[in-house]
Parts: sequence; structure tokens; C-alpha cells
Amino acid sequence: MDQKKRIRVLIAKPGLDGHDRGAKVLTLGLRDEGMETIYTGLRQTPEKIVQSAIQEDVDAIGLSCLSSAHKYLFPRVIELLKEKGVKDVLVIGGGIIPSEDILYLKEKGVAEIFGPGTMVKEIAEYIRQNVKPR
Amino acid sequence: MSEDIERIKQKRKEWEERVLKPALERFWLKESPTKFYTPADIEDFDFLTNVGFPGEYPFTANTYPTSPYIPAPRRGLPGASGLVRAATYSGYGTAEDTRDYYKEMQKRGQKRGPNLAFDLPTQCGYDSDNPVVRGEVGKTGVTVDTLRDFEVIYEPFQGELELDRIASNFTINGPCNVIVAMYFALAEKRGVPLDKLRATPQNDILKEFIARGTYIFPPKHSMRMFRDSLVFFTKYCPSVNITSVGGYHIRGAGATREQDLAFSMAILIAYLQEGVKAGLDVDSFAPRFSVNAFGGSMEFFKEIAFQRAARRIWAKILKEKFGAKNERSMLLRQPAGAHMGYENCTVQRPLNNLTRSVVGAIASAFSGGLPIPMPPYDEPLGLGWSLEASQLSEDAFKVLYYEAKLNEVLDPLAGSYYVEHLTDAIEESAWKELGKIEAMGGAVAAIESGYMQHEIAKSAHERQKRIESGEDLVVGVNCFVGENELEIQITRLVPDPYDPVKREQAEERQIRNLAEVKKNRDNRAVAQLLGELKDKAKKEDENLIPSFIECAKAYVTEQEMCDVLREIFGEYQPATL
Repeated sequence: MDQKKRIRVLIAKPGLDGHDRGAKVLTLGLRDEGMETIYTGLRQTPEKIVQSAIQEDVDAIGLSCLSSAHKYLFPRVIELLKEKGVKDVLVIGGGIIPSEDILYLKEKGVAEIFGPGTMVKEIAEYIRQNVKPR
Repeated sequence: MSEDIERIKQKRKEWEERVLKPALERFWLKESPTKFYTPADIEDFDFLTNVGFPGEYPFTANTYPTSPYIPAPRRGLPGASGLVRAATYSGYGTAEDTRDYYKEMQKRGQKRGPNLAFDLPTQCGYDSDNPVVRGEVGKTGVTVDTLRDFEVIYEPFQGELELDRIASNFTINGPCNVIVAMYFALAEKRGVPLDKLRATPQNDILKEFIARGTYIFPPKHSMRMFRDSLVFFTKYCPSVNITSVGGYHIRGAGATREQDLAFSMAILIAYLQEGVKAGLDVDSFAPRFSVNAFGGSMEFFKEIAFQRAARRIWAKILKEKFGAKNERSMLLRQPAGAHMGYENCTVQRPLNNLTRSVVGAIASAFSGGLPIPMPPYDEPLGLGWSLEASQLSEDAFKVLYYEAKLNEVLDPLAGSYYVEHLTDAIEESAWKELGKIEAMGGAVAAIESGYMQHEIAKSAHERQKRIESGEDLVVGVNCFVGENELEIQITRLVPDPYDPVKREQAEERQIRNLAEVKKNRDNRAVAQLLGELKDKAKKEDENLIPSFIECAKAYVTEQEMCDVLREIFGEYQPATL
């Protein structure tokens, strides 16, 4: 039964960036892939994102940022998850992330970064392979 | 004429049967992969009605009788302007960083005013010291908290580059009136009269709700802010453009060509109505509306037709719906024309973006603009274009303009059966969608209900599905990729205009700057001015711009002003997906 439980994903826009085409496409696209998705809408603080993730009991969080504030915002979300004792949520990111920042974000605990041009199918497959068993 | 059309139709049938069909059979094709257009596809075409002369109603051929943007002939060989970008969208870190950048550009020969990019806290009405904006200060542009920041940014713009001798651009929407008031305050402090100022604030707030996202207040209250700017600029600063409407953002957010045109025009109508409701004659303010690089996609002919249709529909709206009498009200003022669409840049094999931008530039030249390849190819690799990429774009423009001579003829595709057919079709579908929005109560209602946002998200989703299925091809992304991808190095032979160390420290430095301003200003005066602003904000008819100017002069911060408005107007809560 548990195997068949749908994967739940929170697509979140941390910070003030208003470019949410990618976030919306992923929200709708992962639904096509059989997942349950929740989109936070714009201008979410890391605190609000973590709160929504806990409340919605999600398996994964997708963070999208095109404003270049990812180096602060993404690690902050992970820090807060740790503070709240959340260990089983997969965190992935996307947006305009310069390649030199990807390693830094991974060191901080972001599992993977998906840049522009990535297929939704590929992201869905990654999530399926990497969500923590519950 | 109609006899000719009948004959063509008859001939077409014969051709399909006698010539086309056997050809298709020979190549095992069920239907033809190509189309062919004839006069029968534009049966009602009338040159004077549909196209007309350049600079004349309905402006299909061109906005102006000749292109006003063509660089003046120079004596001798044109010099290499090279890496000069002050008039290009720019702004970095703190006011000091941006000031130093412009000083550097002036050393390289730049003589134009700044086209200011602001950081997101500024665009969303927050101060740098607000914990909510951590990590964002100085990132997408320069940060502005108070008049002090404007004073510093504009230090290099004095003397022969005094405020009455340059034009400034501000990409600002939600808090447009507050930011523009800081510029006005700066001008007044320098003794430059407001009516001598030339500037273009983006001031296209309705588009922010459906693309780009830097809104603050709900749509209705945002429209009051828009009305204030329209009325104030019309009365006191006739050389300040009221808005730079539309542009590529809506398409970038995922809208189709037809949605883009219809939504942009619905928004235009809403803005025009504000002026009319305020009791102004449409001809007194419509000539100060401008447009920021409409549309954009890789579909060459459709983008050309889109530009032509946009000019025609704009002219008709002004003349037929608003009864404009002055032809200057009816022309779509757009300094840059067709382009590839920034969202079509790819991270994969980024140099291909240069090819794409050149295709967009040719479409621009064929539809009344200059062949400006934009954006530079490294746009998707991170904020801040490299100077090399910028120079390549600038040079590509020169090649297209001076060597290929693309701009020798205006509207060179006028009369093409295909392009005229396309122009009509795009215009018609835009009118249809516009009718639907009007029936909902106009752009504001269609945004409040979430209709436009929802439709755009749907279109973006559809496009992604077509890319994933291979129905739409993007070279290097979903096709023509293989095992042997090259590692492309984007070398920056010229140092980045903005030092990465400064970039890291910008937030900290600005928080200190702001603390200093707050310590040294007359805080009693600030409190009193904010109280007065609040009283005025409660009165719907009151124009708030004079209050913003007074506040700015007393170094009231942007967020302090916006917070007063947030209290009275509320904040926009977006519709869910």
C-alpha cells in the first residue's frame, strides 16, 4: 500500500523573485507524472517554506530562484529543516544558477540542481529515485 | 478583382491535383510540409486600409515616416564605441558601486543617461535592513532606500550630463511613484525644473500581476498609483514617459503570441481609461505611452506579423475606442522591435544564442525596428552579461545594418500574401480574446479573478509538453544532442563590470549606509510627513506624488512610504494555481 502512495512535492519560490514560469510548469508537469504538487506562490520566506513542507507532509521540495539570491536562500531552507528535525525531505533546486555555485549548494545539502532546458520527465525520475522511503 | 480571385482559387485546385498530389505521392507524404499563399488568402486586402504609408494611420508599415532610430551618418569611418553600456540596463550593488560603474563607462566615452536596474527589495518596496530581504540586496540591480542613494548614483551625471540633458530609465513598477519622486526630489535639490526632465519609468503594474511579479498593492489600488503618475506627469513633466507598457515579459511568462497581444492591449485600455476617468483629454497623455520590446519568439514571419498587427491594433484602439484625434496618440512608440524572446535562450550550447538573436534582429529590421540582436548570448548563464557577449551583439547589429543594409526599406514584406494573411490572423485572434476580457470587465477584473495568470500558466505548460514530446524542437536541448557534447568555456577576457567581492559585501554596506541616513535625518519631520501621507492616502482622489517628493527630500525611506500605503491599500494575494 505504502509503495503506491503518491509522492508529494512542494514547489516553492523563496525570496522576492517573481519569475515563476518554471515553478508553475513543474507544478503542473509533475502532476502529469502522477505526483501531488503544491505551489507556494511568490515571495516565500525560508521559514514559510519549511512550515508549508511540514504542514503538507511532502516528500520533496523544489526551490526555484532566478534572482541570484540562491546562495543565501537555498541553504537557509535546509538549515531550518534541520532545526525542525526534518530529515526525510529531498531538496532540489532550479533557476538561473551559475555552474560555479552548484557545488556550493550541494555541499550545503541541496541534492541536485536542474537548470533551464531540463525535461520535467527527468526531474520526475530523479525524485522517484531519490525520495527517502517512508 | 473577385473574378481574379475566383480564377486563382480554381487554378489552385488544379495545381493541387495535377502538380502537388503526384509530388506528395512520390515522397510518401500524406500532406504537404509546406504552404503556399496567394491573393485568395487576403481577399479583402486593401493597401490603404490595411497597410498605409509609414507614419500614418493605421501604422502597419511603420510607426514613423522613416526610422528615427537609425544612427546619424558620421564623418569618416564610424569609430568603435566598444564596451560602453551605461545606457544599457545596468545597476549593481550599492549606490556607490553603480556610481563607480557609470564613472568607468563615462571614461570609455559613454554620454547617455542611466537605464537603471533595481534590486528586488527596491522593486517590491522593502528597505535593505528588513530581515525579509536577506540575500537579495544589490543582486538584480542597484539598491535604493532613500534619496541619498539617488544622490550618489547621479554624482557622475552633472555639468554637461546634468539631469535636464540626459534621459533616465527606471525599471520600476509597484513603487514607481515613490522611486520617481526620489528622482524629482534630486532634480529639485539640484535646481533642475521638473518640466525639463526626460525619463521613462516602466510603470506597467498590471503586467506585474501576470508576469515578473514585483507587485505590492492589489490591482485596484495599483491603478490609483498609475492614475497619479499619469496625471502628475501630464501636468508637470511633459517629457517623462508615463509608462513603458507591455513588452516581452508576458510572452516570457509563457503566453502565446495571441494572448500576449490581447492581454497587453487590455492592459493598455485599462491605463487609458484611468486618464479619461481623471478628466484628461486622451490626446494630452496617450503620446507619452511607450512600449518595451513587444513579443519575441523564434518564429520569424509570425513575429514580423505580430509587430505589424500590434501597431495596427494599438492605432485602432486609440482612434476607434478612445476617439483620439492626434495621430501621435495612435502610434506605438517602441525603441526596440522584434526579437528572439529571452526565454528562448538556452544554457545548452550557449553560443547558439547568438545565432538565435541574429534571427530575431532580422525580424526586427523587417518589421520597422533596428536589427539589434538581443539578448547577448550569455544571458542564461547568470546575471550580468559579459562585455564580450555584449560586444558581439553590438557588432552583429553593425554587420546587419551597415554591411547587409537591412534597414534600407521600411516594411519590406508589405503586400506579401503570407505576411498580410498572418498579420490579419494575429490581429483577429487578439480582438477575439480582447472581447472576452472586456466581457469580464477588463484587464483589472481578469487579473483579480486570476484568469490571465491561469491562462498563461496553461500555455507555458502546453509549450513544455510539446518540447518534451518533440513536437517543438529546441536545438541542443531536446534534439541534436549526443555523447560528444563540447565543454564550452565562457571566457571573460574583459573583467566583469562588477567586482564579485563588492557584490558579496553589498548588503552589509547598504545596511550601514541606511543606518547612517536614519541617524542623521530629522526623525520628527519624518514621522509628521508619514502621518500626512497616511491621511492623503485615505482619500481616493488625492494625488500622492507631491507627498512622496516631500517625504523623499526628508530622507524618508522607500519602505516607510510603502508601509503607509500597505496599511491603507492592503497587499496583493495572488490566485492559487
